[in-house]
Amino acid sequence: MKHWAASLFIIFVLCISIPSYGADIESRLKALEDTIQQQGKTIEDQQKTINALKGETAKTGGKTIESAQSKATGLFGSSVLSNPNISLVVNTFAYASNLTEEELELRNIPGYTTEGLENRNGFNLESAELFLFAPVDPYFNLYATIPVTEDGAEVEEAYFVTTSLPAGLQMKGGKFKSGFGRINSQHPHAWDFADAPLPYRAFMGGEGIIEKGVQLTYLPTLPFYTLIGAEVLQGDNEFLFGPDAESGPHAYTLFAKASLDLSDNSTVLFGPSAVTGKTKTGSIAEDTDFDGDSTLYGFEFTYKWKPSKQQGFALQSEYLYRTQKGDLSALDENGDVVSVDELRRIQDGLYVQGIYQLDRWRLGARYDVLDLFKDEYRVAGEEQEFDGNPRRMTGMLEFNPTEFSRIRLQYNHDRTARDEVTNHEWWLQFTMGIGAHSAHPF
Amino acid sequence: MKKYLFSFLAVLLFVTPSFAKVNAVATLPWIGSIAKEIGKDRIEITTLIKAGQDPHFAEAKPSMILAARKADLLMYNGLELEIGYLPRIIESSNNPNIQPGKKGNLDCSQFITPIEKPSSVDRSMGDVHPLGNPHYHFSPKNILSVAEGMTNALSENDAGNADFYRKNMQLFKDRLMEKQKQWSSRPLKGKKYIAYHKLFEYLANEYGFWILGYIEPKPGIPPSAGHIQEMIGLIEKAKPDAVIATYIAGKKEAGALSLKTGVKSVVLPQDVGATEAAQDWFSLIDEVFKGLE
Ligand SMILES: [Zn+2]
Repeated sequence: MKHWAASLFIIFVLCISIPSYGADIESRLKALEDTIQQQGKTIEDQQKTINALKGETAKTGGKTIESAQSKATGLFGSSVLSNPNISLVVNTFAYASNLTEEELELRNIPGYTTEGLENRNGFNLESAELFLFAPVDPYFNLYATIPVTEDGAEVEEAYFVTTSLPAGLQMKGGKFKSGFGRINSQHPHAWDFADAPLPYRAFMGGEGIIEKGVQLTYLPTLPFYTLIGAEVLQGDNEFLFGPDAESGPHAYTLFAKASLDLSDNSTVLFGPSAVTGKTKTGSIAEDTDFDGDSTLYGFEFTYKWKPSKQQGFALQSEYLYRTQKGDLSALDENGDVVSVDELRRIQDGLYVQGIYQLDRWRLGARYDVLDLFKDEYRVAGEEQEFDGNPRRMTGMLEFNPTEFSRIRLQYNHDRTARDEVTNHEWWLQFTMGIGAHSAHPF
Repeated sequence: MKKYLFSFLAVLLFVTPSFAKVNAVATLPWIGSIAKEIGKDRIEITTLIKAGQDPHFAEAKPSMILAARKADLLMYNGLELEIGYLPRIIESSNNPNIQPGKKGNLDCSQFITPIEKPSSVDRSMGDVHPLGNPHYHFSPKNILSVAEGMTNALSENDAGNADFYRKNMQLFKDRLMEKQKQWSSRPLKGKKYIAYHKLFEYLANEYGFWILGYIEPKPGIPPSAGHIQEMIGLIEKAKPDAVIATYIAGKKEAGALSLKTGVKSVVLPQDVGATEAAQDWFSLIDEVFKGLE
């Protein structure tokens, strides 16, 4: 265990929560007297304003209410029209593992992906993420997410959302996070842990399904919340599809989410998702190329109990199940095809996480596992055997000074590489946001 | 079988409320209470935030989104009090009638003059409300304007019942004037209090009492031991009449201060429904006055 990460965490938390003693009561009282005098003056001023307004109302015969209609609502913030709402979220962390950087880079999940871990021992900058949003006109809202990393800026999301379609319909278009599953549509800074759950990393890569395309959702007026959605996507995701799998859009999703309030304080949300499409990827095994079809099914479940601002509990789980069939080509070092065999993969994975919140503290635990019920991996009809289940256990402790800042200590007991090596990972993560107020989604 | 599936889809697509009542959705209990005074039994009211929940920190629950989907008229507090969840609820509702600028979208704060609007603000000052103090529902004067605005909005959305709404508005106004006289005779002038959050400033301005300090060092930030120590010093020097908190914020801290200093602590309802006695807006204000005396 790396003691320095834990001690740093404690130091930071203490710095924030330890009181500043010795504040001078006398000077405070003086300030207070000034305030009271000021308040008295304010009241006088206000009375004057009230009197003036009364006179005005009498003159205009109560027309003041209509003219007040044009005041800014403050619903979308106080900014002027010439600026969209802008916020910046910086996500930076210190990372420590018992493995060397080389070992981390090579730490893939055999049978799933050749991709290793990107984190470096020491200080890491995940990104400085820029969010922009505003209504375009009475018909559209516009959003953009631009994470700036050390490699440069990219357009992670840029999409419009309709606001005036009838019959409970809404359309989204551009580049956006798919509505598939639960965590997929959340931004990493809103996650409850520093990294993506294992099934996400195994089936769609750590970033999830972010695609160019269109989405249509339908919210019927049933007695309980039911959202139904469908998407047509370009299919750029390197794990599930790949840009060269077919020309034109070649990925399609369907999802439904239902929710019930069990009481004023507790809510459940659950529903199935599916995404299917053409696949062409080199991420399955070293020196291979795969050409075929993939379908990923998911089921999400969330339970939240929030009796007060001071306390809360959330239990969340997603189960993913992927089928894939097609031709796996073995390549030589020049990239030429040596042999072609049929590949059939039917694999699954699950994560379960629980978060308990007390005042400004949050304590969390997560368990991820792959090959839970299904671990079929056949090349030319022959089952390939892999040792053990890739799995991981995670513990997390957070201190949130305000809703705009977060300090997180996380430990992963990582047994994903199917070898005898355990990766002990530690994070000390700082996430802070400035600018426009971000949403408190469920 | 096909027939059943088809009719199920048809039901799914064209479910509409079978009654013609205006479906009004209020974010906060007090807004629902005023709407009830004006709309009586001719409107259906759903309240999104319950009395036991803090309106500063609510989440956009799916049930709230569904309520907004069914709404003809969405009424909210404004002044950025609901900024954390209401924009999300409105967008996700897939309901064109309640979008900003539409007649089904009613920001109640447009009818009032906010106080304490900071001339400059950043978040090192805590989660300050940048458009001014949003807790204007304790102000009888402001509530009258809000009720008038609400009457206009209801009449606009449901012209057939406009006279009914106007008549109820007149009744509401008469009752408010009556109550105002009672409230003005209450002996609050010159009294001094320590409060948890900046909730009662409108009432203090209108009825001439003082709030000397706040247990919360900055809006939305819980007090440190040092700040509590400072408060004890302040209470001992300034001898306020009471330390006030609400059922959702500061109850524990106010109780502790009271124990340390001997000054009584009072827990007030922060919205309609927070206590059994505060069952509508009038009794809410009655309860607050009772507590402050
Ligand atoms: Zn407030």
